[in-house]
Amino acid sequence: MKERDFTAHARRLGWAWLALLALMLASLGSSYVPMGAGNAAAGIGIAIVKSTLVVWLFMRIGSASPSVRVAAATGIAAWCLLTSLSGLDYATRSAPQASVQQPEQLRPLLEKERSR
Amino acid sequence: MSAHAATGGSVPAPTPDAGRFGMWIFLATEVLFFGGLLTAYAYGRIQWPDGFGVASRHTDVLLGTLNTGVLLTSSAVVALAVACAESTSHRRWTGWLLYAAAALGLAFLGIKGLEYAQDWHEGLFPGPAFELAGTAGAELFYMLYYLMTALHALHLAIGVATLTVFGAGCRRGRPWANAHRIDIAALYWHFVDIVWIVLYPLLYLVNRHA
Repeated sequence: MKERDFTAHARRLGWAWLALLALMLASLGSSYVPMGAGNAAAGIGIAIVKSTLVVWLFMRIGSASPSVRVAAATGIAAWCLLTSLSGLDYATRSAPQASVQQPEQLRPLLEKERSR
Repeated sequence: MSAHAATGGSVPAPTPDAGRFGMWIFLATEVLFFGGLLTAYAYGRIQWPDGFGVASRHTDVLLGTLNTGVLLTSSAVVALAVACAESTSHRRWTGWLLYAAAALGLAFLGIKGLEYAQDWHEGLFPGPAFELAGTAGAELFYMLYYLMTALHALHLAIGVATLTVFGAGCRRGRPWANAHRIDIAALYWHFVDIVWIVLYPLLYLVNRHA
Protein backbone atom coordinates (compact mmCIF):
# COMPACT_ATOMS: atom_id res chain seq x y z
CA MET A 1 0.00 0.00 0.00
CA LYS A 2 1.42 3.37 -1.01
CA GLU A 3 1.85 6.12 1.60
CA ARG A 4 -0.93 8.28 0.13
CA ASP A 5 -3.34 5.33 -0.01
CA PHE A 6 -2.45 4.35 3.54
CA THR A 7 -3.15 7.85 4.87
CA ALA A 8 -6.50 8.02 3.07
CA HIS A 9 -7.45 4.54 4.28
CA ALA A 10 -6.42 5.29 7.88
CA ARG A 11 -8.47 8.50 7.79
CA ARG A 12 -11.48 6.55 6.49
CA LEU A 13 -11.10 4.05 9.34
CA GLY A 14 -10.99 6.92 11.84
CA TRP A 15 -14.21 8.40 10.49
CA ALA A 16 -15.85 4.99 10.48
CA TRP A 17 -14.89 4.51 14.14
CA LEU A 18 -16.40 7.90 15.07
CA ALA A 19 -19.56 7.09 13.09
CA LEU A 20 -19.89 3.75 14.88
CA LEU A 21 -19.59 5.42 18.30
CA ALA A 22 -22.12 8.10 17.27
CA LEU A 23 -24.54 5.41 16.09
CA MET A 24 -24.08 3.52 19.36
CA LEU A 25 -25.04 6.67 21.30
CA ALA A 26 -27.98 7.28 18.92
CA SER A 27 -29.17 3.74 19.59
CA LEU A 28 -28.86 4.27 23.35
CA GLY A 29 -30.64 7.65 23.19
CA SER A 30 -33.49 6.39 21.02
CA SER A 31 -34.28 3.62 23.51
CA TYR A 32 -35.28 6.28 26.10
CA VAL A 33 -37.77 7.95 23.75
CA PRO A 34 -41.18 6.24 23.84
CA MET A 35 -41.90 5.27 20.23
CA GLY A 36 -43.76 1.98 20.66
CA ALA A 37 -42.69 -0.51 18.02
CA GLY A 38 -40.41 2.22 16.66
CA ASN A 39 -37.97 1.58 19.53
CA ALA A 40 -37.27 -1.97 18.37
CA ALA A 41 -37.12 -0.81 14.73
CA ALA A 42 -34.65 1.97 15.62
CA GLY A 43 -32.44 -0.37 17.67
CA ILE A 44 -32.33 -3.06 14.98
CA GLY A 45 -32.05 -0.52 12.15
CA ILE A 46 -29.06 1.20 13.74
CA ALA A 47 -27.45 -2.20 14.43
CA ILE A 48 -27.82 -3.06 10.73
CA VAL A 49 -26.21 0.25 9.70
CA LYS A 50 -23.32 -0.33 12.14
CA SER A 51 -22.84 -3.91 10.91
CA THR A 52 -22.83 -2.70 7.29
CA LEU A 53 -20.12 -0.14 8.12
CA VAL A 54 -17.98 -2.85 9.71
CA VAL A 55 -18.52 -5.30 6.83
CA TRP A 56 -17.89 -2.66 4.17
CA LEU A 57 -14.98 -0.67 5.62
CA PHE A 58 -13.29 -3.01 8.11
CA MET A 59 -13.91 -6.36 6.40
CA ARG A 60 -13.64 -4.79 2.91
CA ILE A 61 -16.35 -6.90 1.34
CA GLY A 62 -16.58 -4.39 -1.52
CA SER A 63 -13.11 -5.31 -2.78
CA ALA A 64 -13.51 -9.06 -2.11
CA SER A 65 -13.89 -11.62 -4.89
CA PRO A 66 -17.40 -12.60 -6.08
CA SER A 67 -17.06 -16.04 -4.42
CA VAL A 68 -16.43 -14.34 -1.04
CA ARG A 69 -19.47 -12.10 -1.50
CA VAL A 70 -21.63 -15.08 -2.47
CA ALA A 71 -20.46 -16.96 0.66
CA ALA A 72 -21.35 -13.99 2.88
CA ALA A 73 -24.74 -13.49 1.22
CA THR A 74 -25.53 -17.22 1.44
CA GLY A 75 -25.05 -17.19 5.24
CA ILE A 76 -27.45 -14.29 5.69
CA ALA A 77 -29.96 -15.65 3.14
CA ALA A 78 -29.98 -19.13 4.72
CA TRP A 79 -30.63 -17.63 8.15
CA CYS A 80 -33.49 -15.46 6.78
CA LEU A 81 -35.02 -18.50 5.09
CA LEU A 82 -34.79 -20.72 8.18
CA THR A 83 -36.12 -17.97 10.45
CA SER A 84 -39.05 -17.37 8.09
CA LEU A 85 -39.89 -21.07 8.06
CA SER A 86 -39.72 -21.24 11.87
CA GLY A 87 -41.81 -18.07 12.11
CA LEU A 88 -44.44 -19.58 9.86
CA ASP A 89 -44.71 -22.53 12.23
CA TYR A 90 -45.07 -20.35 15.33
CA ALA A 91 -47.48 -17.94 13.63
CA THR A 92 -49.93 -20.66 12.63
CA ARG A 93 -50.43 -22.36 15.98
CA SER A 94 -52.00 -21.21 19.25
CA ALA A 95 -49.64 -19.55 21.75
CA PRO A 96 -47.63 -22.36 23.31
CA GLN A 97 -46.04 -22.14 26.74
CA ALA A 98 -42.27 -22.39 26.70
CA SER A 99 -41.40 -25.41 28.78
CA VAL A 100 -38.04 -23.87 29.69
CA GLN A 101 -39.74 -21.52 32.15
CA GLN A 102 -40.57 -22.26 35.75
CA PRO A 103 -44.29 -22.64 36.69
CA GLU A 104 -44.25 -19.39 38.68
CA GLN A 105 -43.03 -17.60 35.55
CA LEU A 106 -46.06 -18.75 33.62
CA ARG A 107 -48.63 -18.31 36.41
CA PRO A 108 -49.46 -14.64 35.60
CA LEU A 109 -49.89 -15.56 31.95
CA LEU A 110 -52.17 -18.51 32.75
CA GLU A 111 -54.24 -16.42 35.19
CA LYS A 112 -54.66 -13.74 32.53
CA GLU A 113 -55.88 -16.33 30.04
CA ARG A 114 -58.26 -17.86 32.60
CA SER A 115 -59.80 -14.47 33.42
CA ARG A 116 -60.73 -13.87 29.75
CA MET B 1 5.53 -38.44 -3.10
CA SER B 2 3.65 -35.19 -2.84
CA ALA B 3 0.44 -34.53 -4.78
CA HIS B 4 2.25 -31.80 -6.65
CA ALA B 5 5.00 -34.14 -7.80
CA ALA B 6 2.53 -36.96 -8.54
CA THR B 7 0.69 -34.83 -11.08
CA GLY B 8 3.87 -33.70 -12.73
CA GLY B 9 3.78 -30.25 -11.18
CA SER B 10 0.40 -29.40 -12.65
CA VAL B 11 -1.41 -28.81 -9.31
CA PRO B 12 -2.35 -25.14 -9.28
CA ALA B 13 -1.28 -23.03 -6.31
CA PRO B 14 -4.13 -21.73 -4.15
CA THR B 15 -5.38 -18.33 -5.23
CA PRO B 16 -4.56 -15.45 -2.88
CA ASP B 17 -8.24 -15.13 -1.99
CA ALA B 18 -8.63 -18.79 -0.94
CA GLY B 19 -7.89 -17.99 2.71
CA ARG B 20 -10.42 -15.17 2.81
CA PHE B 21 -12.97 -17.35 1.07
CA GLY B 22 -12.45 -20.12 3.64
CA MET B 23 -12.89 -17.68 6.51
CA TRP B 24 -16.07 -16.26 4.99
CA ILE B 25 -17.48 -19.80 4.61
CA PHE B 26 -16.73 -20.35 8.30
CA LEU B 27 -18.35 -17.01 9.19
CA ALA B 28 -21.46 -17.99 7.20
CA THR B 29 -21.80 -21.08 9.43
CA GLU B 30 -21.34 -18.82 12.45
CA VAL B 31 -24.20 -16.62 11.20
CA LEU B 32 -26.43 -19.70 11.33
CA PHE B 33 -25.05 -20.63 14.77
CA PHE B 34 -25.87 -17.27 16.37
CA GLY B 35 -28.87 -16.84 14.06
CA GLY B 36 -30.66 -19.76 15.69
CA LEU B 37 -30.36 -18.04 19.05
CA LEU B 38 -31.60 -14.76 17.57
CA THR B 39 -34.63 -16.59 16.17
CA ALA B 40 -35.33 -18.04 19.64
CA TYR B 41 -34.99 -14.53 21.07
CA ALA B 42 -37.43 -13.10 18.48
CA TYR B 43 -39.97 -15.79 19.34
CA GLY B 44 -39.64 -15.11 23.09
CA ARG B 45 -39.88 -11.35 22.67
CA ILE B 46 -42.98 -11.59 20.49
CA GLN B 47 -44.64 -13.99 22.96
CA TRP B 48 -43.66 -12.12 26.16
CA PRO B 49 -42.91 -8.49 25.25
CA ASP B 50 -43.56 -7.19 28.78
CA GLY B 51 -41.41 -9.86 30.46
CA PHE B 52 -38.53 -9.22 28.06
CA GLY B 53 -38.87 -5.46 28.69
CA VAL B 54 -38.80 -5.85 32.47
CA ALA B 55 -35.84 -8.24 32.29
CA SER B 56 -33.89 -6.02 29.88
CA ARG B 57 -34.31 -3.02 32.20
CA HIS B 58 -32.49 -5.04 34.89
CA THR B 59 -29.34 -5.33 32.75
CA ASP B 60 -26.60 -2.75 33.35
CA VAL B 61 -26.96 -0.44 30.35
CA LEU B 62 -23.90 1.62 31.33
CA LEU B 63 -21.57 -1.39 31.33
CA GLY B 64 -23.24 -2.75 28.18
CA THR B 65 -22.69 0.56 26.36
CA LEU B 66 -19.12 0.81 27.63
CA ASN B 67 -18.42 -2.70 26.34
CA THR B 68 -19.94 -1.82 22.96
CA GLY B 69 -17.59 1.19 22.71
CA VAL B 70 -14.61 -0.99 23.71
CA LEU B 71 -15.39 -3.58 21.04
CA LEU B 72 -16.06 -1.02 18.29
CA THR B 73 -12.71 0.61 19.11
CA SER B 74 -10.93 -2.76 19.03
CA SER B 75 -12.37 -3.47 15.58
CA ALA B 76 -11.10 -0.10 14.27
CA VAL B 77 -7.66 -0.87 15.78
CA VAL B 78 -7.57 -4.29 14.07
CA ALA B 79 -8.55 -2.70 10.73
CA LEU B 80 -5.69 -0.24 11.16
CA ALA B 81 -3.32 -3.12 12.02
CA VAL B 82 -4.24 -4.81 8.72
CA ALA B 83 -3.57 -1.55 6.84
CA CYS B 84 -0.18 -1.26 8.59
CA ALA B 85 0.66 -4.88 7.71
CA GLU B 86 0.01 -4.07 4.04
CA SER B 87 2.18 -0.95 4.14
CA THR B 88 5.98 -1.31 4.05
CA SER B 89 6.59 1.93 5.91
CA HIS B 90 4.08 1.24 8.73
CA ARG B 91 4.53 -2.51 9.15
CA ARG B 92 6.38 -2.07 12.45
CA TRP B 93 3.16 -0.89 14.14
CA THR B 94 1.16 -4.01 13.26
CA GLY B 95 2.23 -6.10 16.26
CA TRP B 96 1.56 -3.31 18.76
CA LEU B 97 -1.87 -2.59 17.27
CA LEU B 98 -2.81 -6.28 17.45
CA TYR B 99 -1.67 -6.32 21.10
CA ALA B 100 -3.79 -3.20 21.75
CA ALA B 101 -6.86 -4.83 20.19
CA ALA B 102 -6.29 -7.99 22.25
CA ALA B 103 -6.00 -5.82 25.40
CA LEU B 104 -9.33 -4.18 24.53
CA GLY B 105 -10.81 -7.67 24.12
CA LEU B 106 -9.54 -8.57 27.59
CA ALA B 107 -11.05 -5.35 28.96
CA PHE B 108 -14.38 -6.36 27.42
CA LEU B 109 -14.20 -9.77 29.11
CA GLY B 110 -13.31 -8.12 32.44
CA ILE B 111 -16.28 -5.75 32.24
CA LYS B 112 -18.54 -8.63 31.23
CA GLY B 113 -17.31 -10.63 34.24
CA LEU B 114 -18.10 -7.67 36.50
CA GLU B 115 -21.59 -7.54 35.02
CA TYR B 116 -22.13 -11.28 35.58
CA ALA B 117 -21.08 -10.85 39.23
CA GLN B 118 -23.58 -7.99 39.63
CA ASP B 119 -26.34 -10.07 38.03
CA TRP B 120 -25.55 -12.96 40.36
CA HIS B 121 -25.79 -10.75 43.47
CA GLU B 122 -29.07 -9.26 42.23
CA GLY B 123 -30.60 -12.74 41.80
CA LEU B 124 -30.83 -12.47 38.03
CA PHE B 125 -29.43 -15.92 37.35
CA PRO B 126 -32.19 -18.39 36.24
CA GLY B 127 -33.05 -20.85 38.99
CA PRO B 128 -35.08 -21.23 42.21
CA ALA B 129 -33.94 -17.83 43.59
CA PHE B 130 -34.61 -15.89 40.40
CA GLU B 131 -35.53 -12.31 41.33
CA LEU B 132 -38.12 -11.76 38.57
CA ALA B 133 -39.91 -15.10 39.09
CA GLY B 134 -43.35 -13.45 38.94
CA THR B 135 -42.83 -11.99 35.47
CA ALA B 136 -43.62 -14.32 32.56
CA GLY B 137 -40.83 -14.37 30.01
CA ALA B 138 -38.20 -12.76 32.26
CA GLU B 139 -36.41 -16.01 33.02
CA LEU B 140 -36.45 -16.98 29.35
CA PHE B 141 -34.84 -13.63 28.55
CA TYR B 142 -32.06 -14.24 31.06
CA MET B 143 -31.47 -17.79 29.80
CA LEU B 144 -30.96 -16.39 26.30
CA TYR B 145 -28.94 -13.47 27.71
CA TYR B 146 -26.44 -15.78 29.42
CA LEU B 147 -26.31 -18.23 26.52
CA MET B 148 -25.72 -15.54 23.90
CA THR B 149 -23.27 -13.43 25.90
CA ALA B 150 -21.31 -16.47 27.12
CA LEU B 151 -21.01 -17.86 23.57
CA HIS B 152 -19.94 -14.42 22.40
CA ALA B 153 -17.37 -14.21 25.20
CA LEU B 154 -16.01 -17.63 24.20
CA HIS B 155 -15.61 -16.44 20.61
CA LEU B 156 -13.97 -13.25 21.86
CA ALA B 157 -11.51 -15.20 24.02
CA ILE B 158 -10.49 -17.23 20.94
CA GLY B 159 -10.08 -13.93 19.07
CA VAL B 160 -7.90 -12.47 21.85
CA ALA B 161 -5.64 -15.55 21.70
CA THR B 162 -5.45 -15.32 17.89
CA LEU B 163 -4.55 -11.62 17.88
CA THR B 164 -1.96 -12.14 20.62
CA VAL B 165 -0.28 -14.94 18.65
CA PHE B 166 -0.22 -12.83 15.48
CA GLY B 167 0.96 -9.79 17.47
CA ALA B 168 3.86 -11.82 18.86
CA GLY B 169 4.60 -13.22 15.39
CA CYS B 170 4.75 -9.70 13.94
CA ARG B 171 6.98 -8.39 16.72
CA ARG B 172 9.42 -11.27 16.18
CA GLY B 173 9.29 -10.94 12.39
CA ARG B 174 7.97 -14.45 11.80
CA PRO B 175 7.16 -15.09 8.11
CA TRP B 176 3.84 -16.79 8.90
CA ALA B 177 2.54 -13.56 10.50
CA ASN B 178 2.12 -11.93 7.08
CA ALA B 179 -0.45 -9.35 5.94
CA HIS B 180 -2.65 -11.94 4.23
CA ARG B 181 -3.03 -14.13 7.33
CA ILE B 182 -3.53 -11.13 9.62
CA ASP B 183 -6.30 -9.98 7.29
CA ILE B 184 -8.01 -13.37 7.64
CA ALA B 185 -7.71 -13.33 11.45
CA ALA B 186 -9.10 -9.77 11.41
CA LEU B 187 -12.24 -10.99 9.61
CA TYR B 188 -13.00 -13.25 12.55
CA TRP B 189 -12.51 -10.39 15.03
CA HIS B 190 -14.82 -8.09 13.07
CA PHE B 191 -17.47 -10.82 12.97
CA VAL B 192 -17.35 -11.14 16.76
CA ASP B 193 -17.77 -7.36 16.90
CA ILE B 194 -20.84 -7.55 14.62
CA VAL B 195 -22.42 -10.21 16.85
CA TRP B 196 -22.14 -7.80 19.79
CA ILE B 197 -23.48 -4.90 17.70
CA VAL B 198 -26.63 -6.99 17.14
CA LEU B 199 -26.85 -8.22 20.75
CA TYR B 200 -26.50 -4.74 22.30
CA PRO B 201 -29.97 -3.33 21.43
CA LEU B 202 -31.64 -6.72 21.90
CA LEU B 203 -30.33 -7.30 25.41
CA TYR B 204 -29.78 -3.83 26.90
CA LEU B 205 -32.17 -1.41 25.23
CA VAL B 206 -35.61 -3.06 25.42
CA ASN B 207 -38.32 -0.79 26.93
CA ARG B 208 -35.72 1.54 28.53
CA HIS B 209 -38.19 4.43 28.40
CA ALA B 210 -40.77 2.63 30.57
